[in-house]
Amino acid sequence: MKAAGDAGAAGVSPGNADGEWLRVHPASPFVRGWIAIAAIGYFFGRDIFERLIQGGPLIDDRMAGRAPWLLAAGGVILMLAIFGFIMTWYFTRYQVAEGYVRVKTGFLFRQQRQARLDRVQAIDIVQPLLARIFGLAELRFEVADAGESAVRLAFLRMDDARQLRATILARAAGVQADPESPDAAVQEAPEQAVLSVPPSRLVGSLLLSEQSVFVLLGAVGSVLLSVLTGNGGFFLYLIPAALGLAAAYWSSFNKGYNFTAAISPDGIRLRYGLLDTQAQTLPPGRIQALRVFQPPIWRIFGWYRMQVNVAGYGAVGGNGEGGSRTTLLPVGTLADVMTMLSLVLPDPGTPDAARVFTMGINGSNNDGGFVTTPARARLLAPLAWRRNGYVATETALLLRSGRWWRQLVVVPHQRTQSMALHQGPIARRFGVADLVLHTTSGPVVPRLIQADADEARALFQEQAARARAARKRQTSEQWLAQVAAETPAAEPPAPNEFPAPNEPLASRGPLAPREPLAPSQDGPQNG
Amino acid sequence: MPTKAIDPPGITWLRVSPKYVTVRLVEWAIGNVIAVAVLSLPLILVLQGWWTWPPLWLAVTVPSLMLILAVWRLVLIPRQVRAIGYAERDDDLLIRGGIFFQRVMVVPYGRMQYVDIGVGPLERWLGLCTLKLHTASAGTNAQIPGLPESEGARLREQLSARGEARLAGL
Repeated sequence: MKAAGDAGAAGVSPGNADGEWLRVHPASPFVRGWIAIAAIGYFFGRDIFERLIQGGPLIDDRMAGRAPWLLAAGGVILMLAIFGFIMTWYFTRYQVAEGYVRVKTGFLFRQQRQARLDRVQAIDIVQPLLARIFGLAELRFEVADAGESAVRLAFLRMDDARQLRATILARAAGVQADPESPDAAVQEAPEQAVLSVPPSRLVGSLLLSEQSVFVLLGAVGSVLLSVLTGNGGFFLYLIPAALGLAAAYWSSFNKGYNFTAAISPDGIRLRYGLLDTQAQTLPPGRIQALRVFQPPIWRIFGWYRMQVNVAGYGAVGGNGEGGSRTTLLPVGTLADVMTMLSLVLPDPGTPDAARVFTMGINGSNNDGGFVTTPARARLLAPLAWRRNGYVATETALLLRSGRWWRQLVVVPHQRTQSMALHQGPIARRFGVADLVLHTTSGPVVPRLIQADADEARALFQEQAARARAARKRQTSEQWLAQVAAETPAAEPPAPNEFPAPNEPLASRGPLAPREPLAPSQDGPQNG
Repeated sequence: MPTKAIDPPGITWLRVSPKYVTVRLVEWAIGNVIAVAVLSLPLILVLQGWWTWPPLWLAVTVPSLMLILAVWRLVLIPRQVRAIGYAERDDDLLIRGGIFFQRVMVVPYGRMQYVDIGVGPLERWLGLCTLKLHTASAGTNAQIPGLPESEGARLREQLSARGEARLAGL
């Protein structure tokens, strides 16, 4: 099965999975194209089946003469489909070597694609229900193009997919293959479960979502209408709406079920799904921006939702696939939010992190060092002006907003792309300005609303300097190599093994205050 | 306007070519003259007595409002062009624009993915060009219109060189 053709040629980086052109699992086109086969089967089988049920003859007298032709035509179409599947399978090959993942596809229109491993933004293993039954999985490799996945391998055996993910992540992290034993498979980085969302809370969060409020209002409204008009018939019109709502709830439930988060040296692992399961891996430092959000009803139970911008996931919103992929935490308590924050931002850059972030999520006024909208501009935001505010730590900018729909946006300094100050004529009269941070597309749109104009201007300057300093610290896309580069005084880790994967885990308590920053990180902050 | 600008202090802005006013004027003419003419059509028809529906006051008000708006925009054009500015700092490029709705944008050189230069027919005739910067963010809508061609080419080379020197990942 395996084409070991040019394995020998890639002598640069030996290893079992390296340099070899591999094929996806032979069953995968059938798992992917089962709908087509089922459609063909349905089309040709329906009549016969119906007649069988009605107790008629297998083949109608009228059809008897043509039956062989019909069967032949059906057979040819089926054969063509299967032949197409086999050809697609045969010509789809992939390779992980020399810092690249390469995929060849197509037999009429050929495509060869390669992506640099250290440019990985996220790597997902997806298992639709049918693939799950067969023990298969799809691997998606995301780079920063804000759209479709760069590399999709559908389907691999589950173990192979995980092995490939481990290999890709190890190569991307900068771990070199051991020259002594090139055939040794890369060990999957150990992981430590951090939190999970119990199904009861998920159901509760769905029932208390804004969608449910509209459902309730709609139901009350239609009951009132029917009572007032004395016409019960129009409930029929609500059936499609009810079906659509049920589907939306089901989709949210299916996507959010059994949500667990874990941390490993390769990054954050998220797993979820009831029928279709998905496992995402976000390598360290790939999260461009993050938001903690609380709709008003969730405040009763103290629940929050967290969403992230990741360059590879793009801006697919709503309840669909993109919506679930950009969800870092579908529903969680404040403690869960803090835990996730500590994973995303291991160095909060402030000694009093728990307080600052709590104030960012729940607080108002100047608690926790937030600078809010000046009181003279409270006419512009009569409810939210005490909430609208910002605070900058050593590593990230926190933007707080919303009186009822509370929101905290966190943007790491080294992820700031560009910035703009905006001021309209009314804002100028009140001496306030907005600061917009540009990040990759996604659900999070960082915007500081109505800050004092002088403060906004100062923040604009400082933020540019901070982002510059943070970019200088970040030297490599290979996160383990970067750790090694940042601690040159310490003993360099052995190049051919994972440098003590358990050690950084132990020190990652929920926002545990870190030691004072190394002097090398005290870059020019006041530019 | 006596109001305080939003710019960070201590920056000497480079201004775009005054010839860019011509480009904006032509764009204004194409847009607004046609709009006013189309909106005046009912007025003419009503005056000629061919149409009865739009009352005269309405037929007069709509195009005259449009005309006032158009003239207002026309008056603003030279000042809007004068308000466009850019400044190359050591690590980033600043771009500003607008009088009523002001915007100051900072684009770090290390964040630039690519630089575009676009030239329309009118700009070519005047020897101008428009420079566009792209980062990984779709929100970065950074463009400097009305640059003289030589300045545009210089800026492009300069930005590319600096971007390469300070290239950062995402």
